This record gives sequence, C-alpha cells and structure tokens, in this order.
Amino acid sequence: MDKEKEDGVEEGSYTQHYEVLQELGDCYSSIGDYDQAQRYYEKAASLGPDEPGPYVGLGVVALQKNLLDDAEIAFRVAFRLDPNCAKAYAGLAMVFQQQQNYQQAFELYMKCLELDSDNITALLGLFQTSCQMGSFEKIIYYLETYLDMHPGDTAVSFSLAALYMKDGRLEQSQKILLDILALNPANQGAADLLEEVEHNLAQAKQAGANIQ
Amino acid sequence: MRDRSATIKRNEKAGPLVTVLIPTYNRRRFLPVALASVVRQDYDNLEIFVIRDGGEQVSDIVSSFNDSRIVFIDRAENRGVAFTLNEALVRAQGKYICYLGDDDLYYPHHVSTLLDALENGGDYEVAYSDLYKTYCRIGPDGNREVLSKVVEISRDFDRFFMLYFNHALHVSLMHRADLIEKIGLYNEQLNVMIDWDLTRRLVFFSDFHHIHEITGEFYSPIGDSDRISVQRRKDQSEYRRNILTIRTTRPAKPWSKIDDMSIIFVVDKLNKQAGQTIGLIWSNTFYPYRLYLPLSPTELSRLNIDMPNVVFVPVNPLSSKDQQIDAALAKCDGKYVAIVPSGLPIEEMWVEHPLYALINSAPMTSCESKNGGAAFELRGSTEQLWAIVVRKDQLANARKSFPNLSVQQSLQAAGIQFKKPTDDQLPFQFDLLLQQAQLAEKNGNWAQAAQMFEYIAEHYHNGLWMKTLAAKAFYKVGDHTKAAKLSSEINQQRPTVDTLLLEAKVNRERKNFKTAIALLRRAEQILSRQSDYLVSTEVNNYSR
Repeated sequence: MDKEKEDGVEEGSYTQHYEVLQELGDCYSSIGDYDQAQRYYEKAASLGPDEPGPYVGLGVVALQKNLLDDAEIAFRVAFRLDPNCAKAYAGLAMVFQQQQNYQQAFELYMKCLELDSDNITALLGLFQTSCQMGSFEKIIYYLETYLDMHPGDTAVSFSLAALYMKDGRLEQSQKILLDILALNPANQGAADLLEEVEHNLAQAKQAGANIQ
Repeated sequence: MRDRSATIKRNEKAGPLVTVLIPTYNRRRFLPVALASVVRQDYDNLEIFVIRDGGEQVSDIVSSFNDSRIVFIDRAENRGVAFTLNEALVRAQGKYICYLGDDDLYYPHHVSTLLDALENGGDYEVAYSDLYKTYCRIGPDGNREVLSKVVEISRDFDRFFMLYFNHALHVSLMHRADLIEKIGLYNEQLNVMIDWDLTRRLVFFSDFHHIHEITGEFYSPIGDSDRISVQRRKDQSEYRRNILTIRTTRPAKPWSKIDDMSIIFVVDKLNKQAGQTIGLIWSNTFYPYRLYLPLSPTELSRLNIDMPNVVFVPVNPLSSKDQQIDAALAKCDGKYVAIVPSGLPIEEMWVEHPLYALINSAPMTSCESKNGGAAFELRGSTEQLWAIVVRKDQLANARKSFPNLSVQQSLQAAGIQFKKPTDDQLPFQFDLLLQQAQLAEKNGNWAQAAQMFEYIAEHYHNGLWMKTLAAKAFYKVGDHTKAAKLSSEINQQRPTVDTLLLEAKVNRERKNFKTAIALLRRAEQILSRQSDYLVSTEVNNYSR
C-alpha cells in the first residue's frame, strides 16, 4: 500500500539501533559488567561494521580481562576503520603500556592527544608512562593545556603537581595542591604530596639560607 | 455490499466484527510476519482477508495458520492494489475496516485501541494511530536487519490539510464499514496514492480521532525501494495526473463535514486567456468545488473541455457580467461562492487562503447575517479583475435586495465588508512553522530549531511530536538538561526509541548508568520487536 510522505531521510535514521547497542555496551562497561558489554559491542559491530566505536569498546573489555592480544586486535581494527580514531590510539597505547613497552605507549598517547587534547585516558597514561620512563618534559605541556580547558579536574591537576615537584617547581606544585585541598580537604593523596612538597620547599629555603 | 447486520448481531457479545484487509503480491518472505501480527491481536472478533494479487503462491502460508477467521482470495492475475482491496471490501462483513500491507505489522493492541476509540470516543467514524517507520536493510540471508524505528509523522487531524495532501498513514487507519457506501470504493483508475484518495473522501463525512499511541510498523528498506507506488511516483506527469484526479473527486452528497464551494467564472468570450485561467483553476484548486461557466449557447458549443466538475450555464449573448453571475448563482449549490474573472492570476492556494479566512471568520448573529458580514478578496483582485469569495446566502440576499446595482455595489449596499486575509487567518500555519524549524535544523541552527519546535508544541497542538523534535534539537545544541527533561516527559506518556535513547545518553553522561541501561534496554526491546513474531513456528517456516 502507498506510504505517504516519502521525504528526505531524517538524520540518524540508519544509525539508531547501532547507537542503542553501543550505548548499552558503554554503560555495562562503565559498571564493570564486561560480559554484557562485550555482548552489546559485538551486536553493535554487526550493525555498524564501519564504525570504530564497538571495536574500541571490545578492546577495552579485553584489556579489563587482561586479554592483551585480543585487545590489540580490536584496537587495530578500530584504527583501520578510522585512522583518526583517538580512542584507538589510546587503547593501543594501553596495551603497549601493559606489555611494558613504555616508549611505544608514550608515542601513541602523544598521537592520541594530538587528535584529542581532552582525552583523559591518554593524559593519565602519558603521566604514568612518563613516570615509568623517568621523563616528564613533554607531558607537562599537555597537562597544562588540558587544565586550561578543565580547571576543575583534580586527578589531572594532582598529576601536574607531582610532575612540578619532580621538576623542582615546588611553589607551582604547592599552589595546585592547596587548590585541590580547598575543594576537598579529605583528599589524602594531595595532603601527603603537599607535605612532601612543603618539606622540600623548607629544605630548599634552608639550603639557600646556608649558602647566603 | 452484503447485509452485515446478521453477523454483527451474532458477535454482539464479543464486540463488533472488525475486518482486516491484507493485499499481497510477491512478498512471500514477509507475509507470515504480517499475518501473524493480525492473528495475535488481543481482540478476537476479526475477519481477516488475505487477497493474493497474482505473483508468488501463498496458499501454503495462509493455510499453515489454520485460523477460521482468515478468508483467502487466491487470484493468479495481477490487477493492482485498488482492485484487490475492492474485491475484499465488497465481501467484508465487519462493522469496521482496517488495512495492513503484506510487509508491515500491527502490534497486538492495534485493533483494540482503534476500536475502543471508535466505539467509546465520541462522534468519530474514523480513527488512526501512530506507527513506527522501520528503516531496515536486507541481510545476506534475505532477512531484514532493523536499523531504526522512528515516528516520523504524528499529526493531529487537520481536515483542510487532508484535502491538500495526506497526513494519516493508511495502515494506521480504521473506519466504519458503512462509510464505504457513502464514499465509494477505491479508484481503480489511479496507480499511486490510492490510500489518500480514499482517506480524502472520508473527511467529507467524519472527523478523524488521532490516537497518540504507536500500534504498528511499516517498513522502509534503505536504497532503492521495491515499492511499486514509490517507483511509479518517479513519473512526474503520471503523478500529477493522479493528484489532479484525487483533488477533483467529489463523493455523492450530502456531505456532513464539508461545505461545497461554487466558482463562477466570468468571461465574455472564450479565448486563449480564458482557457488558461480555467486550466489554472483546475490544476491549483484542492478545496472541493464546481466550476460554473455562464456563457452563450454559441460559446458553450465551442467548448471542448475534459475538466471534471464543470457546470454549463447558458445565458443570453447580450447579458452583462452581473446578469451572468446572477444566472450562475441561481444554479450554485455551494455554501461559498467565488467570483473569478478571466485573466486573474491563479497560483497554489489562490482561493483556499481567502476561503479559509472566510470559513473561520467569527460566526455572525442572525441580524448581522441579514445586514452585513464579510467577503474576502482573492489575491490579484483589482478594479478591473474583481475577484472575491463570499457566502452564497449573503450574495443571494444582496442580489435580491439590490438587483439593479452591480454585484460589487450590491454587496457593499448590503453591508458586506471586503477584506483581505491577514497572515494569522491563513491555513497551514502549523506546517509553515514546522517547515521553518526543520530548515533551521537542516542548516545546523539547532538553538533556533529547538525554540521553534517548543513554541509550536505550545501553540499548535501536535505536542508529543513537536516535543520529540525539540528534545533532539536541544541535545544537539548542548542543552542536555532540557533535552533530558523533554525526553523524560515524553517517555512517561508514550516512549519512542528516539526519546528513550536521548534520555539514556544524558543519564550516562551524568553517570546514572543503571537508569541509562533500563532506558536503553527498553529501546532495544522495541527495536527487536519484529523478531518476537519471527520466533513463532508458523512464521519461522517461511522466513528462512
């Protein structure tokens, strides 16, 4: 029978079911139900075979299950579907990080941040790999840029404070930690680090006084 | 048509008999799902016609249901949908009729919902509900993979619009069977939009009750449609011919819901310009009308016209224009009269704009009716080409009271004010605003679109539909709080996949994962609904 109004197809008309499945995968992944998450990501991948999202999700699930080979395959598929998929870079970097291949992980985190300077996973991953490799110069820039956009993100500002401290920028580190504690006085990590920073500051002052 | 009374009485205790018509042609793969969806209605008193319009054999499918309510008409020759539906309509015994495409499906409450609206919902003889448009692709195994389910149209009944174009899906319609006796059967001369043609004739006799519930689905495969109707629409001239036929179709009188219009065409002599004006009236008028041609017998004999609804009024060759109008007026049977001179510029809505203003102008007191009132000038009307639409009784009174004045002067003398319709008096204001909002949306101006959809929802009915569009636009513009609020409101009344997904997205952003999952699972359940029918044994046998 005739169906009137065969107008232009509304945006999203072809992707709605895919979106529902992908969202379900993301939600289950967020609450730690990785089997359910995997089930929905697989369904989403079948409905949206050209979308990188489900493969990123499957990669994350595999990482959580410590199936590093599976995770690497999934992230590489996502990367092949979209060479600019920042999440695929971050995921692959996490795989390398787990494999203790810090140099490659560091480079992939950097590539991810070039594509998406907001990617918190890459930022924190970069911080961790920097610590693991003992080099901090490059990461400070990215953390500062990120915090310009997200000044309230205490996890990142805490990382930056730690880096400043390791870089000898004790006053900058102290300021950030005081800000974090003003927002949440119960933040024990910040309190401990502040104690260490202030101890170092006192020592530095003492050393300066001695020289004079 | 057969006498239905015996059947209705026989089924009185079970509620009235409802006839469902399913024409089928070469959709063997999908027919089992469609038929299963009817057989499993939560209302039992059904008469189900499956009419094979040639093509693949389906008798094995029909007999596998082993349901005595199914009447199978098995015809090898392909005669078209209109013929096929008529074949069943003349045999239908139900008090009510509804329709289903052979690749579409009803939800279990479809019949009972519409029936309840018609039996208990006031003075309605026609009801319609909302349907999901299901976008799908055909998988490698030949089965449909559902990509989305969207309520694209959920328009409240608008008679004027329905005369112009269709806004109610045929599959969602149920009407009293005895209306067919008033409006006639499907027009077998049409090859597209046969459903609008029938629906349009229904509006002459009943208001339509819009049920804001989703009671079924119709399918839209991505890529080139296999629908015959869609293929045929690609032939523009054929499409145009069908539109004109539909718009000039007039069911037999009396009409209970529409007042007729008479157009009096004023011309001395038939020439090229007059022919053009008549042609333009034919192609641009959608309100029901008859065209009156007051001309001398000599001129009338020269007339070679295949336009429908034309009434020839022979007049003395020496008659003045006013006498021509008087002669035609004596024969007019419309409540409204339009006086149109040859050469008047005629375009779409030329008469419907002022006519709509006239129909909706404040009702007059009996005193005003005798001594005053309003007439509306047509666009392009000048001193030389004076054109107007007026109530016939007022024009007749004016002519009777002041026969020696010109028509224009007599109306003025009778206290009739000549007006031009203002913007707020024009029809289709909802549609114009919707068009503007959708244009803003298309141009990526989401903030403007969102505000417009919200405004329309508040002022022009169609609330659920407009709120859904507003919620999507608010989400796009980044106002997720507003999007979530609107989606939640809609989901409490009538959830759709779109609004469930939207509300879920906002909940996930806010880390309310459990709420998001509950909403998404509900959406997923709706999206997978067709597979509910596929799991049944009888359907499974044919869907592979």
